[in-house]
Amino acid sequence: MTVDAVYLLQLTLNGITLGLIYALIAVGLSLIFGVMEIINFAHGELLMLGAYAMTFALPVMGLLYWPSLAVAILAIMLVGFVIYEVLLARLKPDEFERSILITLGLSIIIIHVMQYFFTATPRMVDTQYGFEGVSIGSIRITWTRIIGALAAAAAFGGLYYVLRHTQFGRAMRAIAQNREAALMVGIRPRVVARNAVVLAAGLCGLAGAAISPIQLVTPYMGQFLIFKAFALVIIGGLGNIPGAIVAAIALGLIESWIGGFYEIIWQEAAVFVIMIAILFVRPDGLFKRGGMRVG
Amino acid sequence: MKLAIALLAALAFAALPLMTSSNYIIGVGISALIFTVAAAALNLIYGFTGLLSFAQLGFWGIGGYVTALTVVTFGGNFWWGVLWAALVNAVVALAIGYPTLRTNRHAFVIMTLTFALLVTLIARDWVDLTRGPLGIPNLPKPSAFGYHFATTAQYYWVAWAFSVAMLGFLYALCSSRIGRTLVAIKQNEPLVRAQGIAPMPYKLSAFAISAAVTGAAGGVFTFHLGIIDPLFLDFYYMQTFLIIVIIGGAGSFWGVVAAGIALSALPEVLRFSADFRMIIYGVILVVAMFVMPTGVAGWLRERQIARMREQLR
Repeated sequence: MTVDAVYLLQLTLNGITLGLIYALIAVGLSLIFGVMEIINFAHGELLMLGAYAMTFALPVMGLLYWPSLAVAILAIMLVGFVIYEVLLARLKPDEFERSILITLGLSIIIIHVMQYFFTATPRMVDTQYGFEGVSIGSIRITWTRIIGALAAAAAFGGLYYVLRHTQFGRAMRAIAQNREAALMVGIRPRVVARNAVVLAAGLCGLAGAAISPIQLVTPYMGQFLIFKAFALVIIGGLGNIPGAIVAAIALGLIESWIGGFYEIIWQEAAVFVIMIAILFVRPDGLFKRGGMRVG
Repeated sequence: MKLAIALLAALAFAALPLMTSSNYIIGVGISALIFTVAAAALNLIYGFTGLLSFAQLGFWGIGGYVTALTVVTFGGNFWWGVLWAALVNAVVALAIGYPTLRTNRHAFVIMTLTFALLVTLIARDWVDLTRGPLGIPNLPKPSAFGYHFATTAQYYWVAWAFSVAMLGFLYALCSSRIGRTLVAIKQNEPLVRAQGIAPMPYKLSAFAISAAVTGAAGGVFTFHLGIIDPLFLDFYYMQTFLIIVIIGGAGSFWGVVAAGIALSALPEVLRFSADFRMIIYGVILVVAMFVMPTGVAGWLRERQIARMREQLR
């Protein structure tokens, strides 16, 4: 089989965009796990709500992309805040199974309430950019993909800055590294955990909003993405944020390449095969977990 | 005492087809029996051993497909199909259990979850074997010693015999020394190690047995439905098993069995629309986790302990 360089480059660019969106979800999961030692099963549903927020905000905003994006992110941060205050705040640390079952129940409720009100019919999202894009030679990328990728990259830059250089982020890392010591120097775990959940929800809202013009929006869109994100978090090492980002972008590329040359089943199955293989060799994930590392 | 009640209940259940001629009610009875077996298998791995396994859904699906394929593609009969389903699942469970159980319990939950999803993808996309979304319709009802279990009422006896045998087996296992070791592993694994017991073989066999029982249950249920397609791996089944275990009380054998019978019948009686039923299941799951995290059985036991304390005072 001859490999066409242009085709390969196109696949690579698509893969990076896809990987960045996976990374947004996986980083949120990793952040919450780092601070609270729980897994948020309803994380995919936050993404789905973000995409739906986009479908409602865009017509109101006259198809303007950026204001709608901001509305979607703020809306999902609010949802994250409510979920934390109503459900997650009642969990004690080290109630991992309980957290999974509670957020699983929440995810069922959100999916079916959305399906009840908005039906399972997929929705298309139209933005001011439509399907326009830039062409370099024979490679073509739509604006929505480029902006989605840039927004994700910017979000990671911002997250790095926040975790590394602000008191707000330092408190999160402190709780993740040593809960008792953090308590002793006067950090309130409850406030920090709430901040982490809201921040993760915001990243997820961004992912949902960014993905909505690229994919069809359905109540089930979050489920498939969240399973992949779970696998990524395991591959990258639970609670390891750079690990999750690297694993996510690598997966985006691998999936895109496989999808370009082989049948679709291999594209879908790749993540699980890779995960099982990696856990055979390294049970703690590719990058070992040591508190919450940001760099 | 408990065993006597259980025996009476089993006999009462056997008489269901004699009491009603409604295929619908008997169908609900079959679901209740099979779901109870699958929930009891989940209880073995989650309630007793303390490992939350979402892989049960995958085993359930593999069991269904193996049984159906044995009969339709490989020309075997139903009984061999169920046996193969149990065997294949035990082997698969050992293969994925070994790497996953070496990781921590957080990773175990997520790995089993992704395994279940992988099985769904295979069922949908490996069209040559599973026939993809079209599924395998018209599964023939089994026969034994010249007797054909053709109607729903006749098939009910198959499901009944299967459930009683499986529940008996699981009860014997859970109340044996092995069952107590599993509980000990759940409560304090370092202490178990210190007693000179290696937890890994116990965990691995509990996982494999629970997989084999779930798979066989899936096989029996498929032939009740008469068709298998990727919808057989709907997450709805996993949620049902989980809710039965949690409401009944994880780690309590009879609590889960009672909850299995009650909760399988209840949604049928109330006749909600599918969406609304799922919303109610979700609400039940969330509320139960906050209000009675140890289930009805755990709640009753707490009441009993409180009463005993009261008498001592």
